[in-house]
Amino acid sequence: MAAGVAAWLPFARAAAIGWMPVASAPMPLPPQEKRRGKDALIMLNVSGTKFQTWRDTLERYPDTLLGSTERDFFFHEETNEYFFDRDPDIFRHILNFYRTGKLHFPRMECISAFDEELSFFGIIPEIIGDCCYEDYKDRRRENQERIQDDEESEQNNDLVAADLSFRETMWRAFENPHTSTMALVFYYVTGFFIAVSVMANVVETVPCGLMQNRVREVPCGERYALAFFCLDTACVMIFTVEYLLRLFAAPSRFKFVKSVMSVIDVVAIMPYYIGLVMTDNEDVSGAFVTLRVFRVFRIFKFSRHSAGLRILGYTLKSCASELGFLLFSLTMAIIIFATVMFYAEKGSSGSKFTSIPAAFWYTIVTMTTLGYGDMVPKTIMGKIFGSICSLSGVLVIALPVPVIVSNFSRIYHQSQRAEKRRAQKKTSLARIHAVKSRGASAFLQYKHSGLRVDQDEEESKEAGQALVCNNNPTFEVQRHHLLHCLETTTNHEFVDEKLFEASCKEVALVKQASRSSSISSSSSPHGLSSCCAPRRKRKTFSVPNSNMSVGLQGSIQELSTIQIRERPLTNSRSSRSSLNAKFVETVPLNSEQPYLTAAVISVPTTPGTTPGGDDSASSTDYSQANIVRVSAL
Amino acid sequence: MEAKRVETVSGRVDAAVSSPDSVEDELELSTVRHRPEGLQQLEAQTRFSRKELQILYRGFKNECPSGVVNEETFKDIYSQFFPQGDASTYAHFLFNAFDTDHNGSDFVMGLSILLRGTVQEKLNWAFNLYDINKDGYITKEEMLDIMKAIYDMMGKCTYPVLREETPRQHVEVFFQKMDKNKDGVVTIDEFIDCCQNDENIMRSMQLFESVL
Repeated sequence: MAAGVAAWLPFARAAAIGWMPVASAPMPLPPQEKRRGKDALIMLNVSGTKFQTWRDTLERYPDTLLGSTERDFFFHEETNEYFFDRDPDIFRHILNFYRTGKLHFPRMECISAFDEELSFFGIIPEIIGDCCYEDYKDRRRENQERIQDDEESEQNNDLVAADLSFRETMWRAFENPHTSTMALVFYYVTGFFIAVSVMANVVETVPCGLMQNRVREVPCGERYALAFFCLDTACVMIFTVEYLLRLFAAPSRFKFVKSVMSVIDVVAIMPYYIGLVMTDNEDVSGAFVTLRVFRVFRIFKFSRHSAGLRILGYTLKSCASELGFLLFSLTMAIIIFATVMFYAEKGSSGSKFTSIPAAFWYTIVTMTTLGYGDMVPKTIMGKIFGSICSLSGVLVIALPVPVIVSNFSRIYHQSQRAEKRRAQKKTSLARIHAVKSRGASAFLQYKHSGLRVDQDEEESKEAGQALVCNNNPTFEVQRHHLLHCLETTTNHEFVDEKLFEASCKEVALVKQASRSSSISSSSSPHGLSSCCAPRRKRKTFSVPNSNMSVGLQGSIQELSTIQIRERPLTNSRSSRSSLNAKFVETVPLNSEQPYLTAAVISVPTTPGTTPGGDDSASSTDYSQANIVRVSAL
Repeated sequence: MEAKRVETVSGRVDAAVSSPDSVEDELELSTVRHRPEGLQQLEAQTRFSRKELQILYRGFKNECPSGVVNEETFKDIYSQFFPQGDASTYAHFLFNAFDTDHNGSDFVMGLSILLRGTVQEKLNWAFNLYDINKDGYITKEEMLDIMKAIYDMMGKCTYPVLREETPRQHVEVFFQKMDKNKDGVVTIDEFIDCCQNDENIMRSMQLFESVL
């Protein structure tokens, strides 16, 4: 809580007056106030730049250097001021933190210098206000990455620990060829053979001169059939071995088989095996020839070797919708223009535009400004529409392309930003959570320590009970007193969220178990179930009275957690010892009277339940059962 | 601080009149930058000492540099004091109770009554708070609203568990105590009479005397 909120304490106390007539119990006494000395101005000399502030301002944060007695080490008697040999520009921000409760991060400053100053003055960087926190985190992360990069490049040649299994080592070698020499060799060998295989496929089809008993030139594949066959066999063997090794080393075989790269591998080597299996049957050899086309897919195996190819593939996949749009618009235009051209050229004799599908070819060639010239319009109308076609072709193709490009860059940057934001959101939520829970927990801790001690905060501090961690103790004590008054007014107390849920569940179970022995008043299971209902699916609950209303307080603040609250009762102390022991003994019974009576008032039940509740509770020895019992009362 | 600035210290905290509309607030900010009334004047009108007024104003001005407190600020402050529950409804009622004649009267006056006034004045103020429509009668509905607002501040995780009827029951108890002639409303006289006869209430009213 910002210490500046202490300024609003009078308003809050005024609010408390509104509760007085409503409460049925006497209010707790307010804490005594220390006699406060006159507020003094403190002079801070930071490397020659003088700052002045009230002593109270500095003491708002008693666990920092300036707020505690640690600053006395820097007191300079001759000039009667506190001298710090630090950077005055950054000190300005630190002093502002004391004044306003918000720490800002100056963008021009170096992050490590700022961090050093913060640690010198004992301020944790997590307090940085939301306005500057993202920036701070970004800079910090960049800095750390830079440091890490430097370290990594040093460590790059270190051998990895030998505790990985053989299989895992192999997998790492496959995925990251730079880890070991063997992996590198393997990487290059497979790359070489991919290249060789692709080259062989290409060269196979080159005409290689005449053979004896043939008229035309034969392709090299037929002339040196054996050589090519041997080459092919060697390549396929290497690929097969590689595939099997990868399959063996993969941590999740199923996932590996489903992955794109493995599919490519399989498709690359399948034709060979199918060719082996098949005989020289004329019927199937046609199909077989088609299958050999798939050998060209071996070239895609290069994508393991090239990150750029992978990125391109990902880009196309992510821009699939835009590509689809491009295709669709092109198709529309083609159909329109082909139809028009067909009907325009219908009249002329000897026209090549024999049908609309035949005109498709003309339209495509014209729109992409290729213009082969194998089909040309001869009529005037045809020429007019032909020129319109070519002009619009440029437009239709030029328009979606920037969309795709911009889409790509947008998607790329978006994913970067989303990840950053997700990481920061978690930390900022955690921070808010921590601050709120700290405030609430401090109150509950105060309650127990405050009740025991005679409203003397010094004593309780000495006794080792940390009242508050970071905030002005005087203010916190006052605030706790206010919360205490609120509890007294409403006859309810603040409890820990976890215990609350646990007690809900326990009670629900107990209630369901003891439903037979029940309960004339509908209110108890009613209220208890209704409190748990928002937390669970209602279907799982079969409550005797189904007319329960949802939602106690609509504003379920998920960030408000409150610490443990135990209700000590006379006959339950022994079983409570496992819990926070300091609470149990400290609470005098007479101060609990209002609570006890309050419990009876607010949750009326028949006496019949009480022994039942007692029994069930005494059988189970958890502390939570005690809560169960009391609430069953 | 210069002496001159200290001179002009005061708690002339004006509520942004009527509408909590933020757009209007922005437009009005330039005109609604509050100059406080003289320190002497406030000293005469309220029961705070000079020093207390200084401390009050300084702390307040630090928190609220523009000098304007509107309902949103109120809700904010109270939600910081009572984070476990939802303090906004109660803050709303409080805000209306402070601003009695709705033309920007001082909060400091209100505070002076609450923290330094006689018990009679405090009870008057409390009655004013409960009487939402300011018609001189507290009806059960008004009291129920107030009670719900108070219980809202407790939040969900309470012990014993907060139920739907708890505020209503509490209102019933209250009315049984206060409504002497059983006419379903509580007038100011009934209220003050009853409170003065109740020891607990009288004692509680004395609690908050100090400022800080």
